[in-house]
Amino acid sequence: MSNVDPAGHNQSAPGFGQAYDPFADLRDNHDYTDEALDFEDTYDGLGDQLDETDDAFNDDTFGDTTAGASGAVGKDFDFFGATAKITNAMEEEHQRFSLQQKTSRTVRPHAAQDYNTGYSYQPTQPAPKPARTGYEKYKEEPTELQIDASIWGVAPKKAATPAAVSQPVVTGRKMMSLEEVEAAMRAEAKQTPPVPLTSQFQPQPQYHVQELQAAVEPGLYPRQEQLDPIRQPIDGRHQRGFQTDYQQPGAQGATHGHPITILQRPSRHSPSAPGPATAIPSPMSQPQQTPPNVPTQILQNPNRLPADATRMTAPIHLSQKSQNSIPRALTQKQNQLSELSEREKAAFVEAEARRAKRNHKIHLMSGNNGLMTPQDKSFITRIQLQQLVSATGDPSEQGNEAALAEDFYYQVLSSLRAGQRPNPNQPLNNFAQTYLFQTGTRRGGPRHHGPQNHVQRMEQQVQRAVEAAKNKPKNKQLVIEGSLGKISFSNAKTPKPLLNIKRPESGTDSNRPASGQRTQPASKGHDKKDTLRDIENVYLTLMKMEDLTRSMPPPNGPADQNIADKQDEFNKLNEQLWSHLRVHDPISSTIVHPFISFISYPKGKRAVPRVFRYLSPTQRTTILTMIIIHLDQLDVIRGAQVQTGEPISLDAATRERIELFSLAVMPSLFQLLNECDLDIVTGVLGLITQNVNVDLVARTRIGVSMLTMILSRAELIKQAGQASEQSWQQWVATFNIFFNTLEPTLHNIFPGTITSNEDIYVWQFLAAIGIGASPDEQQRLVFAVKDRVMGTVGLAKTLPPDMAKGRLDNVNLFMRSIGLDVELLN
Amino acid sequence: MPDMAEPRKSSSTYGRDDDPLTYFFKTLIDHEVTVELKNDIQIRGTLKSVDQYLNIKLDDIQVVEELKYPHLSSVKNVFIRGSVVRYVHLPAAAVDVPLLEDATRREAANQAGKGK
Amino acid sequence: MADAEEGPTGSVSEPLDLVRLLLDEVVFVKLRGDRELKGRLYAYDSHMNLVLGDVVETIYLIDEDDEDEDIKTTTKKVGNVICPR
Repeated sequence: MSNVDPAGHNQSAPGFGQAYDPFADLRDNHDYTDEALDFEDTYDGLGDQLDETDDAFNDDTFGDTTAGASGAVGKDFDFFGATAKITNAMEEEHQRFSLQQKTSRTVRPHAAQDYNTGYSYQPTQPAPKPARTGYEKYKEEPTELQIDASIWGVAPKKAATPAAVSQPVVTGRKMMSLEEVEAAMRAEAKQTPPVPLTSQFQPQPQYHVQELQAAVEPGLYPRQEQLDPIRQPIDGRHQRGFQTDYQQPGAQGATHGHPITILQRPSRHSPSAPGPATAIPSPMSQPQQTPPNVPTQILQNPNRLPADATRMTAPIHLSQKSQNSIPRALTQKQNQLSELSEREKAAFVEAEARRAKRNHKIHLMSGNNGLMTPQDKSFITRIQLQQLVSATGDPSEQGNEAALAEDFYYQVLSSLRAGQRPNPNQPLNNFAQTYLFQTGTRRGGPRHHGPQNHVQRMEQQVQRAVEAAKNKPKNKQLVIEGSLGKISFSNAKTPKPLLNIKRPESGTDSNRPASGQRTQPASKGHDKKDTLRDIENVYLTLMKMEDLTRSMPPPNGPADQNIADKQDEFNKLNEQLWSHLRVHDPISSTIVHPFISFISYPKGKRAVPRVFRYLSPTQRTTILTMIIIHLDQLDVIRGAQVQTGEPISLDAATRERIELFSLAVMPSLFQLLNECDLDIVTGVLGLITQNVNVDLVARTRIGVSMLTMILSRAELIKQAGQASEQSWQQWVATFNIFFNTLEPTLHNIFPGTITSNEDIYVWQFLAAIGIGASPDEQQRLVFAVKDRVMGTVGLAKTLPPDMAKGRLDNVNLFMRSIGLDVELLN
Repeated sequence: MPDMAEPRKSSSTYGRDDDPLTYFFKTLIDHEVTVELKNDIQIRGTLKSVDQYLNIKLDDIQVVEELKYPHLSSVKNVFIRGSVVRYVHLPAAAVDVPLLEDATRREAANQAGKGK
Repeated sequence: MADAEEGPTGSVSEPLDLVRLLLDEVVFVKLRGDRELKGRLYAYDSHMNLVLGDVVETIYLIDEDDEDEDIKTTTKKVGNVICPR
């Protein structure tokens, strides 16, 4: 790359690279306020001495606009006006061009700003003519492509002339004592052309390349690019002197192929155009001096703008190059060209191809350059950054709070679904876990996770208890067996509904003394709206706590003030949560307790598992107690009684509530209870027998599940040997009271008829009772349910084997708990 | 009402679809929905995109009462302006209700926070 | 006790806060065009777009042959968005 500087070679680009510098025009637009050098200090007056002879053609081409331009062009030259005068001559091209002018004119100030910000290293120059976007030439690419072919073959010879012409002009002035350099170079050239005086930096090949360029594209201003780095800083105003030229290039570019290549527009030059000669000379010959031409070159230099990386290093090399190589005579160049080895040519071509590719890329990317102001750009950048931040966000990461706040549903749902799909082991973020836990709770929801596990765990718990009990049979089994056998077959008919008394569901509890005074949730004191507000407040607090937990560092991390603050915050939220739950509101006998109202709403039920995670064990136990005390007031128990022998008459809404309760609330209670010791379990059962209408409770699915939970837990504690003798005695006493209370209801706890097949939870319950019961109680138990046992066994005989097995397994769960088996009945 | 709508406007200048319901809708992309228009036409199709005005793009559409609206029978894809929509019938399985409710709560809290 | 403990989020200060209380509740919505909806409220926004579940829609039509006779048409739907513009 160092040899063939992309910027330097642009003009000579034989192929599509063809010289035009799309960015060259941009230079026009720059004001040079940022220039390091003051124009007046560096301007050597060369512009006044320019050979304008060939400009004579300008009149032919553009009409006589040169009054001010061809002579001494003032600094106040009206570029736009001058250009406008010649537009007639340009036919269709004119339209395009004038369009460009218009746009650029209005845009100009912005454009200048743009480039200043974007490319700070770029010198800004005054805009000598109507501003352009600098990409006009790209739009005309096709035309320019035509040029290429000819260049390769013919160009070199033609080059000679222009070069010659240019030289005189070039022989510049003070600045870098060009003559001396040239002389030196010529001398060199005769020997070994490549080696420049000051060219330590430049490897030989580069010379060839440069020369080649010069030779190939005489009309073009190949070197200009190389020079630019040096010159740009020097003058912005030189252009003024050549305004005529500059102003016309645009127009001329439009009229492609026009002979008057005088204008330094490189890209415009048609391969055969003779005119170029005039224009070319200046750039080539005046490298060191920042001659009047320089500005032109700058303007036309296509590569400058884009080449970021090269620019940084380029200036040095370029300056060297320009001093040494540029001044050479064309003849030398031709010689050198012929001297070029194949390898060098190849290198050159390759370099050209690379550059062309890059230019093309730049061109593609630059389609709409200059349309936006820096403000626009930074605005867009900000938006993009913002979106990047939120797009890459994972809710589990901190710092994405904003994204979560904006788009909670989407974020959590996508991580939920992502977690479900391919990689179940992938840890879900906290939120996803919260809702994964939740999602099974909706009826019909396809997912059953935690809740389902709970049901299974409870079944297993009962089963374990039964298995354990079976291993230590109690005694008197024969008696039981006998009593069962005695009744068995005579009752092995499908029970027909003997009682058709349908208890009105709502009237049920009013018939019971314990609940007679209790009324519906909505009553004075705490009405429906209050409860709903409590629930919503609980949710808001919950979400705050979930947010807080998520931002909490792992507990074993170093303790710092930050953590302490968060802990304080957490505790505060916990208090809020607790107060919104209303658990500590006074218990009244006349109104339903606010907390019971709370969990009578679906969203109240659904909040329970989430609430439990943020409560202390004491608080959780308090809630358990609360629920137990008001068991017969729960919406899932009140009005949810079943009647053995009758078709189950629960309406859909009630069933839904029951389902939701057992999925959302029961698991939490179950888990809590499994962490309690026997004293608490005993206390819970005691509360039930003392405060609750056991008959009501036992004839509901939720009630039975709750009781099963309690009984089986006690049995497991005992089997695990975790209960002291005293505690166990207390338990037994409480159990006995409970059994006595329950016994009258036992025959009535089965839901529906035998064929309903919804009684599995009852068999589990009976099994849990059977394990803990004394032999006497077991006998009473068997007696109470014998009809159902025999009925089910009888029904099983009429069913297909697999269905029958299911039924018998249910019954056997109970039978085994008291040391029997349905097999014995056959 | 106006003060609640305000913050949305400001954030929408950043090009975000700031309406939480829009986000919700976006999760339904590629699901089949039925759009009922205010002129009673019902169009079933695959939801392809939706914006903050609840403008809707549907692919592979089918008009529910095709015989009644034969002029639509050859149309495959439609863009529906949000303002002419009466209902969008959603696939229940694609809606995560607890999550949606919490999202609504969060948005409500945000709005209240901004209002103050 | 209740009021004293309500935090900044606890007060019902705006109409939509009342709607918030009804999240997940069965709500009754009257629409233009003699339509009524009954369904569970899943979501709403500040434009009162609603997402409802288990919706029953009732349309009151006036039979022009007889006098003013209401005909109820009910449709069951799952999941719904209403644009009440």
